[in-house]
Amino acid sequence: MRKKTFAAAALLAAATLTLSACGSGDDGKSPVSVVSEETDSGKAATILDQPFEKPDLVLTDTHGKKYDLRAETKGHPTLVYFGYTHCPDICPTTMSNIAVAKQALPKAEQDNLRVVFVTTDPDRDTPAELGKWLKGIDPQFIGLTGDFSTIQAGARSLGISIEPTKKDKNGKVVSVHGTQVIAFSPKTDGGYVLYGEDATVDDYTKDLPKLVKGAKP
Amino acid sequence: MRRAVLTAAALAGALTLAGCGTGSGSSKADLSVSASYMPQPVSADMAAGFLTITNKGGTKDELTSVTSDVAGQITMHSTVGGSMEEKTSFAVPAHGQLVFKSGGNHLMFEKLKHKPEQGQKVTLKLTFAKSGPLTVEMPVESATYNPSTGH
Repeated sequence: MRKKTFAAAALLAAATLTLSACGSGDDGKSPVSVVSEETDSGKAATILDQPFEKPDLVLTDTHGKKYDLRAETKGHPTLVYFGYTHCPDICPTTMSNIAVAKQALPKAEQDNLRVVFVTTDPDRDTPAELGKWLKGIDPQFIGLTGDFSTIQAGARSLGISIEPTKKDKNGKVVSVHGTQVIAFSPKTDGGYVLYGEDATVDDYTKDLPKLVKGAKP
Repeated sequence: MRRAVLTAAALAGALTLAGCGTGSGSSKADLSVSASYMPQPVSADMAAGFLTITNKGGTKDELTSVTSDVAGQITMHSTVGGSMEEKTSFAVPAHGQLVFKSGGNHLMFEKLKHKPEQGQKVTLKLTFAKSGPLTVEMPVESATYNPSTGH
């Protein structure tokens, strides 16, 4: 009797072992070639103790008109992102996440919100190109282009490092996007919340109602 | 007593072999694709695609090209600090995975014949250094699709 039990247990253990050994390879022990796991604190928003001053950027909008960021967005909740339109992954995803989240706001708050996309690739992103691209995401979004060094200085004042578009060793044109969205308060005009590129549409949907009031998410 | 244990061990041995089936018996690369999707792009100029290639075999392989009828060109990129770098191949490690995911490695589709719309499928052919090619039916998801929540 006891013998049998023992044998059965051994068999069961062996079977279990077999299953785990021949698993699908998703058990976490398998070597993963390249991972870019973001550190996940569970919350998308980073609230800054020391808010950023809104950058003094005077650029050209998608209609070809002069756009003074400080003057145009003063007193409005404002989201600023630095990216480029020849960007397949993060730039459209980030802007689409904000666009979809914005739809959940009441109409008056949608109209009050300023979402500003500043190109990091002004040579390719002309006002017309920017306008065409943003129209496919949200026609209310503001697109700015202009002198690269002005844009770079503006980004730098927000702790965002971008490099000019250049050709890589294969002759392929490569641009760089920022990795953060910065939210500016309508009350203070200070940039007080940061979102990384892993912020989802759900994160923005949850936080936008607070951001449009200048509250902490 | 001893005999019973021995029997169990023999049985377990047989079970192990049977359980491992193909792939582990030989040490060749054994590739499969999962979690593929394309977020609906802004325009037909450019789109991104993501997928995971799992290698159950004991030999590494290399993804050397991706082609599709819908795109004039598909290139493979890694992303380092907001900057993409085009690569001509990606290793698929033995008993491991090659992961293309948003914010990391991605496939870049250019010169698309038309703008892929949510609900459509894009057919891809993956070519490897050693293994035979794989065909993938990549679904087009919403522009804000998040694979970890599935919407």
